[in-house]
Parts: sequence; C-alpha cells; structure tokens
Amino acid sequence: MTASAERAPVLPEGSALGWIKERLFRNVWSGAVTVVLIPVLIYVGYRAFVFIFINGQWAAVSRNLTNFIMGRYPRDQTWRLVAQMMLLALAFGAGAGTGSGTARDKAEEAGLVYVPPTLAGTLRRFWSLIAFVLVLLVMAGSTGPWLVAGAAVVLGYVGWQSWRLPRSLRMLSWLATALLLLAGFQVVSGTDGMAWLPVALAVAFAVWLVVPVERLQAVMRPVVSLVASLAAAAVVFGVYQVIAFPGIGWDQWSGMHLTLWWSAIVSALAFPVGLLLALARRSNLPALRYLATTYIELIRGVPLITLLFMGQFILGFMLPAGTNLSSISRSIAAGTLFTAAYLAEIVRGGLQSLPPGQAEAGQALGMAPTTIMRKIVLPQALRAVIPAMVGQFISLFKDSSLLFIINVTEFLSVRGIVHAQPDFRVIAHAETLVFVAVGYWAFAFAMSRESQRLERRLGIGER
Amino acid sequence: MTTATSKTHRRPPFWRDVRVLRVVGQIVALVAVALAARWFLTNLITNLNRSGIRTDFGFLTQPTQFTIPYFTTFNARSPVWQMVLVGVKNTLLVGFLGILMASVVGLVVGIARLSTNWLAARLATVFVEFFRNIPPLVVIIFFGAAVFTFGPLPILQEGIEITLPGSSNNLLLLSNDQWGIPGLVSQGNVGAYLVVLAVGLAVAVGLWVWRTRVNISTGAPDHRVLWFVGALLLFAVVGYLVLGGPFSIEWPSLSENRRRIETGFAMNWGFMALTGALGLYTASHIAEIIRGSIQAVPKGQTEASSALALRGFQRYRFVILPQALRIAVPPVINQFLNLVKNTSLGLAVAYAELAALTQTSIGNGRPAVQSIVVMMAVYLAFSLSISLILNVVNRRLQLVTR
Amino acid sequence: MSSDTVPATVYTDATRAKGEVIIELDSVDKYFGDFQALKDINMRVGLQEVVVVIGPSGSGKSTLIRCINRLEKHDRGTIIVDGIELSDDIRNIQVVRRETGMVFQQFNLFPHLTVMDNITLAPRQVRHLPKKEADDLAMELLERVKIPEQARKYPGQLSGGQQQRVAIARSLAMRPKVMLFDEVTSALDPEMIKEVLDVMVELAEGGMTMIVVTHEMGFARAVANRVVFMSDGQIVEVGTPEHFFTSPQEDRTKLFLSQIL
Repeated sequence: MTASAERAPVLPEGSALGWIKERLFRNVWSGAVTVVLIPVLIYVGYRAFVFIFINGQWAAVSRNLTNFIMGRYPRDQTWRLVAQMMLLALAFGAGAGTGSGTARDKAEEAGLVYVPPTLAGTLRRFWSLIAFVLVLLVMAGSTGPWLVAGAAVVLGYVGWQSWRLPRSLRMLSWLATALLLLAGFQVVSGTDGMAWLPVALAVAFAVWLVVPVERLQAVMRPVVSLVASLAAAAVVFGVYQVIAFPGIGWDQWSGMHLTLWWSAIVSALAFPVGLLLALARRSNLPALRYLATTYIELIRGVPLITLLFMGQFILGFMLPAGTNLSSISRSIAAGTLFTAAYLAEIVRGGLQSLPPGQAEAGQALGMAPTTIMRKIVLPQALRAVIPAMVGQFISLFKDSSLLFIINVTEFLSVRGIVHAQPDFRVIAHAETLVFVAVGYWAFAFAMSRESQRLERRLGIGER
Repeated sequence: MTTATSKTHRRPPFWRDVRVLRVVGQIVALVAVALAARWFLTNLITNLNRSGIRTDFGFLTQPTQFTIPYFTTFNARSPVWQMVLVGVKNTLLVGFLGILMASVVGLVVGIARLSTNWLAARLATVFVEFFRNIPPLVVIIFFGAAVFTFGPLPILQEGIEITLPGSSNNLLLLSNDQWGIPGLVSQGNVGAYLVVLAVGLAVAVGLWVWRTRVNISTGAPDHRVLWFVGALLLFAVVGYLVLGGPFSIEWPSLSENRRRIETGFAMNWGFMALTGALGLYTASHIAEIIRGSIQAVPKGQTEASSALALRGFQRYRFVILPQALRIAVPPVINQFLNLVKNTSLGLAVAYAELAALTQTSIGNGRPAVQSIVVMMAVYLAFSLSISLILNVVNRRLQLVTR
Repeated sequence: MSSDTVPATVYTDATRAKGEVIIELDSVDKYFGDFQALKDINMRVGLQEVVVVIGPSGSGKSTLIRCINRLEKHDRGTIIVDGIELSDDIRNIQVVRRETGMVFQQFNLFPHLTVMDNITLAPRQVRHLPKKEADDLAMELLERVKIPEQARKYPGQLSGGQQQRVAIARSLAMRPKVMLFDEVTSALDPEMIKEVLDVMVELAEGGMTMIVVTHEMGFARAVANRVVFMSDGQIVEVGTPEHFFTSPQEDRTKLFLSQIL
C-alpha cells in the first residue's frame, strides 16, 4: 500500500489487464490486500443483496411511508404539506434562476464566460436525493405521490426560468423568491403561535442591513438601527396577531418534515445571533469580547443533549409563570443557542482571514464603521466561509436526530411508531434503521457535495 | 508661509469622544446582560419555590433510589454524588477506548484512501462517505438494536465459553447481554507500582534524550526507541516481581446459573454498542482529516526528498508524516473532544454514562436544574481539559518562523 | 516632464494660496508598546507641495503618514489637517479622513466589487453622491489614469500596475485635499512601476498636495519640492532634491544614500 517508486508496466497502457495490474497488483502488499478484500467484498455484497431484495421485510417501511414523512401530522391537513412542497419547489427554482441570472450578468460585464448548469450536471450533483425520492415513490405504489413529485419538478423548472428576466427585474425576482419561501412556511404554520418569530427576525435583520444611517451622528447610528429593526419586528408581530389564518403550528410537525424544517429554522435563527457574537468576540471593547468568548466556550464545551435537557426542564422555569412553550419550541431555542456559538466561530474565522488592509482602505476613504462592515468586510468574510456554514447546517441536520431523546417525533423517532404496531414489534428493526440511515445519508451527502463544489467555485484554498 | 489656525487643546464633547463612547458602550452591554440574567434567575427561583422544588445542591448527598444495571457495588441507597462518579467513570471509559479505536481505524482508513490499490482506496472512500453523513445516534442505535438486541446473534440461554487451549481459563465469554474478557484486579501495592512506573518513564525519557544527543554528536544510530521501550519494560517487569505482583489477571467466568458474568472485565451490550459505534463514526472523520493533511503537504516536499535519494518509507517518516501531523493534530484532537461529547448519546442504548444517569435521576424526582448544572459542569471540565491539551500541543508543534 | 495638457490647479482649490500650511505636526511621538516609532516629529506641509519621505525600513515613515489619517493614533503632540485637530473626537477623525486620500502598498482594492463600484462606493456612501454623478466621476478619473476600458472588470483581472492606478482613482474620487502614498510601487513588477509613477507625476503637476513615502529617487528628483529623510523615528534631514542628492549633510543620510543610489 506504500507509494512505491518502481514502475514497469509490461502490458500496454489503457488495456483492461494493464489497469488491473497497475491498480490492484502493483506490488506485493497491494496484491495481498486485493486478494484479501475480494472474497470479503463478494461475501458482503451477497449478504447485502439478500437483505435488500430477498429477505428484507420492507413492508415495515413501505406501509409506513406516510408516517416517516409526516409522523403524527394530522392527516386531514395533508393538503397544506402538498401546497408547501409546490410553493417551495417554485421558490427554490426561482432562487436558483435569479442567482444564475445575476452570475450571468456579472460575467458578461467583466468579459468572462458564464457556464450555465446543465440538466445532466444537475442530476449528477443531486443523484443521492433523486435516488432516494425515487425509492420512496416506488415503495409508495400509488400514483398520487408520483403526480405530486412530477408537479414539484415542473414548478421548479418554471421557477428556474427566472434567469431570463432582464436586469431591472432582478430585485423583484429576489423579493418574489423570499415571498414564496414565506408563503411556503405560512401555508402550513398559519399566523398563530410562534409563526411570527422567524419572520420577524428575518425582517428585522433585513431592515438592519438596509436602513441608511450614514447621515446621522456617529453615536446615533447604532441606536437608530436597533430601533428601526425592533420596530420592524414589532410590526410583523402585530400583523400576525391581527391576521387570522389558522394553520398547524410547528408544535404538530413531525417526521422527516420536522427534521428538515427544524434544521432550517434553527439555522435561520442562529445566524444573526452567531454573527453578532462573532463581531463581539473580535471587538476592541474588552467587555464585549469577554462576554462573547465566555458564552461561546461554554456552549462549545457541552454536548447538545445537555442543552436540549436544559430546554426541556429548565427553560420553562426561567420564563414568567404561565408561558407554555411546546417541546419543539424549547428544542428550537436550545438548538439556536447551540448553533449560534458554532456559527460565531466560523464567522470569526472568516473575519480573521480578511486582510486588514480592506478595512483600512475603507477607513482611509472616510467610510463609517458600519458601512465598512456592511459593504466591505461582511460580504467578503461571509462568502469565504459559506462552505463551513453549509457544513454546520449538515451537522445540525444530523443532530436533529437527538430530538428522539426528548420525545419529539422527528424522522428517527418514527421507528417508535412503526415498531409499536403489532405487526412489527420484533421484526424489521434493521430494515427501518437502514431506511432511516439512507434517508439522512441521501440529504447529507448531497449537501456535502454541494459544499465541496461551492468551495471549488469560490476559489477558497487556492493560492 | 502662514500658519493655519489651530484649535486649542480642548476635549471634544463627550458624545463625540471616542474614549467616552468606548467606556459607555461596554457599560451598556454589561448592564444589559446583567439585567437579562437577573430577570431569568429571579423567574427561575420564584417558579422553583412555587413548585416546592429545592434550589440548593443538597440533593447530591441523598440516596439515588435506583440501581444501575451491571454495577453491583452501587445500590439504591448510594448517594447521588456517587452516581455522578459512576457516570464520569463510564464516560471516560467509553471516551478512552473510543479514542483508541477511532485513531487506529481512522489512521488506517485515511492512509488507505491515498493508496494506489484501487480497491482499498474505493472501500475507504465508501467507509468515510457513509459514516460521515449519517447521525452518530443512528449508528449507535444500529449497533445496539440491530446487532445486539434484535439482531442476528442468537438468544443465549446460558453463556458461551471460549477457552484458552490447554487450560480451563476462559479467554472470551459471550452471554446474552454481556461479553467477558480477562480483566486486571489489584492485589495491593498498586500505588507503589504506579510510582515505579512513573520513575521508569522518567528514566526512559532521559535515555531517549541521551541517545538523541549521541546520535547528533557522533552520527551513530540512536536506537532510541529500543532504549526507551527497553527501559520501560525493565522497570515494569522488575517492579512487578519486587512488589510481589500488584496486579493479577482475572479470567472471566460465569455465575452459578451460568447466565451472568461474574469475574473478569464484563462489557455490557450498551458499552460495546456505544464504543463500537462512536469508534467507527469518529474514525471516518479522522480518516478525512488525515487524508487532507497528507495531501496538504506541498508536492515540492515529495519531489525534493526524492531528489535527495530518500526512499519511500524514509520519505514518509522524515518529511511527509511530520508535516502532515502538524496540520492534522488540532482537528483530530477536536474530533476526540466530539467523541467525548457524543458519549452522551449512551442514553439510546441504556448505557450508564453521565447523561443517561442524569436523565434517570431527574425522572426519579431529583431537582432538574441542579442535576443539569452538575452534568454540564462535568462535560465542561472535560472539554476545557482537552482544549488545554490542544493548546499546549499546538504551541509545541508550531513551526519556528521568522 | 511637464505636460501642457494638465492645468496646474486641477487637483486643488484654486482659491487658496499656494503654500498655505495644510498639515502641521508638532512634537509628535508614537509608541508601539515600549518601542518608540516616532520621536518628536515636527513638520509643515503647504498646499500644492510635494513632499517625499525616504529612509531605511523601520524608520517610521509609514507610521508617520498613517498617523495623519488616524489609521494609527499618535500618543503625544498635535496633528492638524486643514485646521482640524486630530483628537479623540469622532467627527474630527471622519472629516480628516474625508479630506485625505491614501494609496496603499498592497492596493487594497475590494475584490468583490467591479473597478467602477470600487471607485464609486465611497462617494456614494460618504458624500451621498447620486449614482449617475458618481459613475460619471469614476469614468472621468479612469480616463485620467488611462484605463477607462477596465471599468466593468474585477480587480482580480487586472495587472498590478492597473490595480494601483484604480486605487489612485478611488482615492481621487473623494476629492481629497491631500494624498498620502505609502510605498505604492514597492509591490509592483518593474515594468509596471513607470505607469504608476507617470500618474503620480501628473497629479503633482496638477497641483495636488502629496506626501509620498517611496524608494523611487527618480520621482523625487522630478517633482518633489522637498525631501525628508527619516531614521529611527526621527526626521534627520530635510531639503530640496538637489541639495539631498548632491550635498547631504548628516552622516546617516550619506550612509543611506550610498546604499540606495
């Protein structure tokens, strides 16, 4: 297995036999490894084949597909989930299309060549997800799911056409994408319960980014920014109390649906907190630095499960008597506290990697500190750590399985429902577990491939 | 040349003074945080008092009121702090063995990924890409449920003995929920033996340094590994004999009804599931790190060492691995830390590590807030120790630069 | 080397007297921890004057000009830029930074913005120029530095010399009263130094007040009104270029000049 220096291919290059000699029997060690591995592989392959296609009791999975996907979600409200899938397909398509259009414009102006994504390329990128969905559809047996999947694909393609829009409509296109995402969230969650929280935070963050405070005195700037953001959040809160669109709050979300949304919501909530923590950690003011560092080191030193316990047992006591948060809300709070610390470290790495000359150039031009942060430092720092942030999201997605331990029914816990059924009490444990593992794997693998691809495209790590 | 009018030295108004704003900003932040903390704490204490739950740490001396399976020295009357110690010991046990397993497997798989043998490289890639992308909890439950509880292993009425050939001692015992392997039991003088070992270690290190110096000054082969190991073995063996055998091997044996394992080191199924699962899961991450770090060594290093007529193995030992290790060590230690934190998933296989015991204890009515605080403090202690080691190692490893 | 195409006051305020003191440094000290980087610096710079600062590395030249726009904070003494004293007053600092322009050795262009956006960012954000006016200004400046065709490119696509010229245009877009140059040709390949120096010569002839830290003696001889030699944090000798290169007084000056000429 060592990289030997000797090379003497006797057989012609490119032939099958030559390949075998080069790749499998290059030297004694290599040959020994091959000889040992091949029978093992054959045996394992045989057992796997038997397990998957012959002996496997997959009825436990195929009869419970709806359970795996939506868990305890009320079945008469399934139309909401379908509507959500349609809206999100449109939104993702539009987002990808608008992004592609923007990239195309930039490349044209700079005189570079833009290579649009091809269908074949996209299929190859997401093959694990597509394969998993196909397996689900085949197992489902009925035509309904196929129609839904087909409709989603069509809508995604329709959204993708937004790349054709002219430059002037680009902003509207982004806005439309954001609204579609919001609609996808709303059609299920309605306006009651905690639905206002993520929307209010997103709006507050957007307001903070956009509010022009440069004309004001230096002291007034952070104050006005803060007041404007809080006012925007309050407006959102008010709107949500007034408009009554009943829905199924996230307390009742379940199964794979919950796993995906839990990860997304926690990431979205944790991002602004993590950003603020990272800025505080790098601040010149010692008090802010110590506060941020203490928080980050504390959270990173404990396992997520302890924070989930804290959310379960302690959070209720820390709020005024009478506030009743559901298990899921508590877990979202715990997950946000947890993820914010890790995101803070990631963003801090990005800020540190930026040459100090960038901020200095901004200062030399007389720009205010917040302008420098918004226009120069953050765009570059955040872009540099996108792969790491995607990695954190994948990690969070996997960690959502811990909700199993606090009795929240996410994807993994559905096994509990399945094996409580009389037919499957003692059999098919391995089958359900393999199915769950493959489900997680399909998503996580696709996302990690995307992250590696992004890393290559953004040129990170290239000197 | 006329001089420009200059303002006299005057303090700027305080709302524009940089220094004032800095101080004020920090005070505001501290006050805000303090107020928030105070609000939460008052709520906490009020609500706890209202529910009649105690708010002190006295619960630690109360009896636990439950037993821990497989731990016969612990009973329902043992105080809670003993339970915490049991949890800590179990966590460290899994942590230590898991780290060992993950390091060995991770190293092998990481190097295999770079092998010229297509089969080995591909298999290693499959291993890594599989384990990295599924949650550790799924792996743990797989080992626990699909392998041990409901799995292919037969349900045993009584234990299976695998004996050493030629004697009646058992090398390996398989029972329904435990496996037994030979263990060590102390016969006394253990403390003295540890002292002897420590002295032996110091001598071995001294010999290492001396042989290194000899090699530098005279160029003779240092054989320092032989000297080091030899010295350690000498002290270990002589110390063992002189102290009259402070340790002895305890062979595993079954109980009267041949269902439980009485002597030896008994590993319960939860322990094996957790350690095996975490070992493999963490190994996949470590394999990635090792592969990345070997690939991060600049190509010019391989070329330069070839040009100097260093052979393959020498190249790896003197040039590539030292540099690769420098890059690899910090993230690998981080993975060790993750493994220790992931032991908290032992709940899923009913293994009595710290988090599982805390959950059971809370279920039995112990105050939740304090229990969780104790648990978090312990994990924090582990993490900070490992981070400290990481920092020390990092500093030693830094390449000396201008 | 003088050109007839550039009016002598295009870069400065023609209503003010040439030579009117615009930068004053009085007894300025600067410490980095225990190390004293600037020792008792006294200097006056007049409008439209070109001052070249030379000296061995570590002599404090960069620190000196970085103190003028408050990228470093001086510990003792006073620095007055166009009548505004640099102190702990945020407003003063901001005003001084608007009125001074700095060009860096490492260019420090913003890689995520096009050349055009690099130049228009500060005028739009700080002076609140409308987009159209800012774009017109940027194109005019790009023509001055002779690279108008690069407007929509990204800095990564430009050569070092072109990037530095964009950096100069970016500073000029804020219409500064004084331009500070921190060894702006030291990171360039030799064949690109000339194009940047040509731009700087044109600036000088256009009446810009400039403080230039450099090793380029040819530039000093061509356009400098005054040459300042610094060593170990102190100003050792000051004089006209002719005086400097023909008859330096101090021993340290002679030693340094013998090493670089």
